Amino acid sequence: MINLNVRVFNIERFAIHDGPGIRTVVFMQGCPLHCPWCSNPESQTFASILIHNEIKCTHCGSCISSCPVGAAIRTDGPSVRFDRGKCNLCGKCVEQCPGGAIRISPDEMKCSDVVSRILRDRDYYAHSGGGVTFSGGEALMQPDALLAMLKACRDEGVHTAVETSAMAPRTVIDSILPYTDLFLADIKHTDADKLHRVTGGDLDLIMGNISAIAACDPGKIRLRLPCIPGFNLERGHFQKAYAFAHSNCIKGIDLLPYHTLGLGKYNQIGEQYGYGQTTPLSRAELEPFASMPEAQGLDIKIL
Amino acid sequence: MAKFNVETVQNVEQSKKIPCRKPLLEQLEIMEAYTDTHRRFSGSSRERREVECLKVLYPRMFRPIEPQDLFAGRLDFLPIGFGCVTSVGGVGHYCVFRKLRQFQEQLPGGLKPRVDDLYRYWLDHDVKTQFNRDMIVDDTMGMFIDTAFPLIATARLSGMMLDYPKLLANGVPGMRKILSDHIAAAPDNDFYRAGLECLDILCDSADALRKDALGQMEGSDEVRKAQLQEMADALENIQHRVPCTFIEALQLFWLYALLAGVINYGRLDDLLGPYLVADLNAGRLTEQKAYDFLKSLWTMIENRRTTVNGRIIVGGKGRRHPKEADVFMHIALKVCHDCRYVEPQFTLRIDRDTTEQTWDEALDALGCGATYPTLYNDEVNVPAVSWGMRVDEKTAEWYVPFGCTEFVIQGQSTGTPNICINLLKLLTIFMNGGVDPMDGIRKDAGFGIKALEEYTDFDKFYADYKSFLDIYLDKSAQAQYYSYQVMNRNVSFLFNSLLTDDCIERGKALLDGGVRYLGGTCEIYGSINASDSLEALKELVFDRHKYTLREIHDAMLHNFEGSGILRRDCMACDKYGNDLDTADNMANDLYEFVAKGIRDRGIKVGMQYFLVVISNNQLNTEWGNATAASPDGRLSGMYMNPANNPQGGANVSGPTAMLNSLAKFDARYHAGSVQNIKFTPAMFNGNREMIKSLFRTYFDRGGCHLMVTVVDKGELEDAMVHPEKYPDLIVRVSGFSAVFVELPRNVQEELLSRVLYD
Repeated sequence: MINLNVRVFNIERFAIHDGPGIRTVVFMQGCPLHCPWCSNPESQTFASILIHNEIKCTHCGSCISSCPVGAAIRTDGPSVRFDRGKCNLCGKCVEQCPGGAIRISPDEMKCSDVVSRILRDRDYYAHSGGGVTFSGGEALMQPDALLAMLKACRDEGVHTAVETSAMAPRTVIDSILPYTDLFLADIKHTDADKLHRVTGGDLDLIMGNISAIAACDPGKIRLRLPCIPGFNLERGHFQKAYAFAHSNCIKGIDLLPYHTLGLGKYNQIGEQYGYGQTTPLSRAELEPFASMPEAQGLDIKIL
Repeated sequence: MAKFNVETVQNVEQSKKIPCRKPLLEQLEIMEAYTDTHRRFSGSSRERREVECLKVLYPRMFRPIEPQDLFAGRLDFLPIGFGCVTSVGGVGHYCVFRKLRQFQEQLPGGLKPRVDDLYRYWLDHDVKTQFNRDMIVDDTMGMFIDTAFPLIATARLSGMMLDYPKLLANGVPGMRKILSDHIAAAPDNDFYRAGLECLDILCDSADALRKDALGQMEGSDEVRKAQLQEMADALENIQHRVPCTFIEALQLFWLYALLAGVINYGRLDDLLGPYLVADLNAGRLTEQKAYDFLKSLWTMIENRRTTVNGRIIVGGKGRRHPKEADVFMHIALKVCHDCRYVEPQFTLRIDRDTTEQTWDEALDALGCGATYPTLYNDEVNVPAVSWGMRVDEKTAEWYVPFGCTEFVIQGQSTGTPNICINLLKLLTIFMNGGVDPMDGIRKDAGFGIKALEEYTDFDKFYADYKSFLDIYLDKSAQAQYYSYQVMNRNVSFLFNSLLTDDCIERGKALLDGGVRYLGGTCEIYGSINASDSLEALKELVFDRHKYTLREIHDAMLHNFEGSGILRRDCMACDKYGNDLDTADNMANDLYEFVAKGIRDRGIKVGMQYFLVVISNNQLNTEWGNATAASPDGRLSGMYMNPANNPQGGANVSGPTAMLNSLAKFDARYHAGSVQNIKFTPAMFNGNREMIKSLFRTYFDRGGCHLMVTVVDKGELEDAMVHPEKYPDLIVRVSGFSAVFVELPRNVQEELLSRVLYD
């Protein structure tokens, strides 16, 4: 199992916001949702993707001359754009780019190599009460690899967390449940129609999965509520989310203020940022939602 | 006559010195009197000559007490005089020729020839010049700090931290008695006789300052009058009895340190804590007044402006009065937090017993941008020092870092870093057939270097580079030892010797066989660039066969112009600082080779220890400016890596990965290695528990040291554009802290290149 490959687009060490203590977060490729504010748009597709970093680009044109299918094209200005329909991801431009501005994501890694990387910070986890968090994309999109890594980390005594949209078959949830110490489960909206229309999510499936985990051990869950202006920043949504928490005996809730740190990535994959709002939320703006009467008895943190 | 340029800048003087108060003519007369005395006593013993020369200087060179001073003692320095380090005055009987010329330019025309006479005399008598004349003879070894050479050497006695507990326990009368008893047994011993006269100089100085204090009372308000009276009383009492109060202890310690010419002060918590607590308990001192005294001490040290020294050490193992020392330490941490001075370099030794309160106070000071305290891990350093310096653990518990980080045993050893070696420059010379690509000068030291084409495996290439380094390591040990011999021929460093074991017992000055542990240190530079370069060559040439050695070398000679992809490949190879076994093991192997090589050679030439230090001042930038492009992708003239840290920007895997890399080197082989880490205020102050956990885990994993800077990148960038807005923005350069806007632009750029964790 541990010899499986896994598609990983980033490994972040000394992560301190995705679960308790000092953690390593493994960002896994692919996502069943398509939230328009996504801060990791390169992870939404399961397939590989060419990333062109304009900041590192020297406009030398070596990608244009090296591309065998004519996918790299000079724009009207000095910069370069990529015809993603034509590009076959052969990597010739990557090899010829002196600035290191082009790469193909994600990396295909051995699960065992990912685990070795995780284990290098085990002393920090032990001291701070931290561990590993599998995130994405959506970690549950690669269930076999995820299970293998969770088991391996567990065997080594590392605290395991999975950050997830919970948008996966119940069988997958059931398979990883025994090896997962903590689920950071997203609820992006409590209105089924709105959720489906904007993100493609299936509210019944998501809520059902979370309830199933809670039925096993509600202490294993922190709900995460991304707070997106123009989408879910309504008292009604928070009321419903808190009610859901109460009814499932879930205490822990994280409010995630909307941010725009991923904005630059859209350009790198040749897409437009589709979400209308571009002003980040401050923590203070979320205080009223954290102190609603329905929040009584919950452990709410604004991250 | 010297054949080299005696006016070369000798040391880093980042902080602006406070100018001498005396009129120019008086300055000239003092230098002439000093020179006359030096000439007159040329036939006497060096002890006699030294003490007679000191009498010319003291108490005359003391400045008046300033209105904010709560105890007395400020000194001026002239281009000619006596000292032990380059930062204040010079070394032994010194003449700083460059400063003497500057002095001459300020004089009216008629007086100028008198300076020429002095200049001529000192060309033959300045101690450092005598060393240079014998050692700086070819293109391999240069003077401090001539960056054209791969190796630089000097004669100085840096980092002495004296046995002040002995001074305070005995007081002046007790010290007199010890010396007199020895004289009775050895009446002809000039060391004892001159030593006794040094105590006279100390008392004369105290008395001169006492008179100054009394004289300033007239016209002062009541508060100041009381302070001056207290000062005058202390200055009177310390001449005749053992110090009994905190101010007496502080005053005696301080005056002695000034006269000894030392600029690092040792474990002041353990020294002064008992006096402080006794005064607090007896109601002679309030907490507030204690705080004011320490703040005054901080100001006195800051005002000496030594740039890279001014060490005060608190905490750690082996203290004789830990309870009282802790009282001093907590007040000192508060002063450090409030003052935010560049000096003193406030140093906290931690161990497993360090309390939460101490950790929190230390992190509070760091979080406000003080850059202090700098943290040393006793759990690692005590056993390491014991092994490295060949002393028992009890002795090792008295290790103290001075300057940029070098360790000595307080009151028992010398540890001056008189050698600096640039491992990266030597690699570029080695790859270029023995010729430095920067200036076309052959610096192969006679080593037969092969053509690059002859190397078919990495191990052979690396082995030959090591053999080339061996020659320079030989030179390092020889030059260090010779610096001691030259100094010993000329001077006794009397004040230093009196408070260094076992000078009095043996009746000998410290470099004359008196010091218990004759140690030394060798600063190494560019070590990480060199190991990253070796890693890149191994990977690209010998493992992947993507390029030949010649191709990479040709690209280096052209500063990678037209070889963008080759340079990118060089830079993409594994780099130290990312917790990768490849690059980290290479760095460790090169470190151990050089460190063990230096240590073995030191023992062989007769030293107790000679150990590398991976410290740094801004020399990593200046020497980098004079070092050709390298296989790690570094461009010609670009700064080199700071201290034991990765090249700026090479560590891309977060702070745990960098700290894991840093912790890999075995501390037994070095006498201090600086580990820098930088955070934004939001990260550091907003996640305190995580940061504490990060640091403690690093120390548990074998980290020996940590130097923390908390600063906003935007703030630094803005300070480069609008320096006037940031007069007190302090940053850590590597071995020292500095006001950012006063640093040269190339050093500012190097600082900005370092990864900032946010």
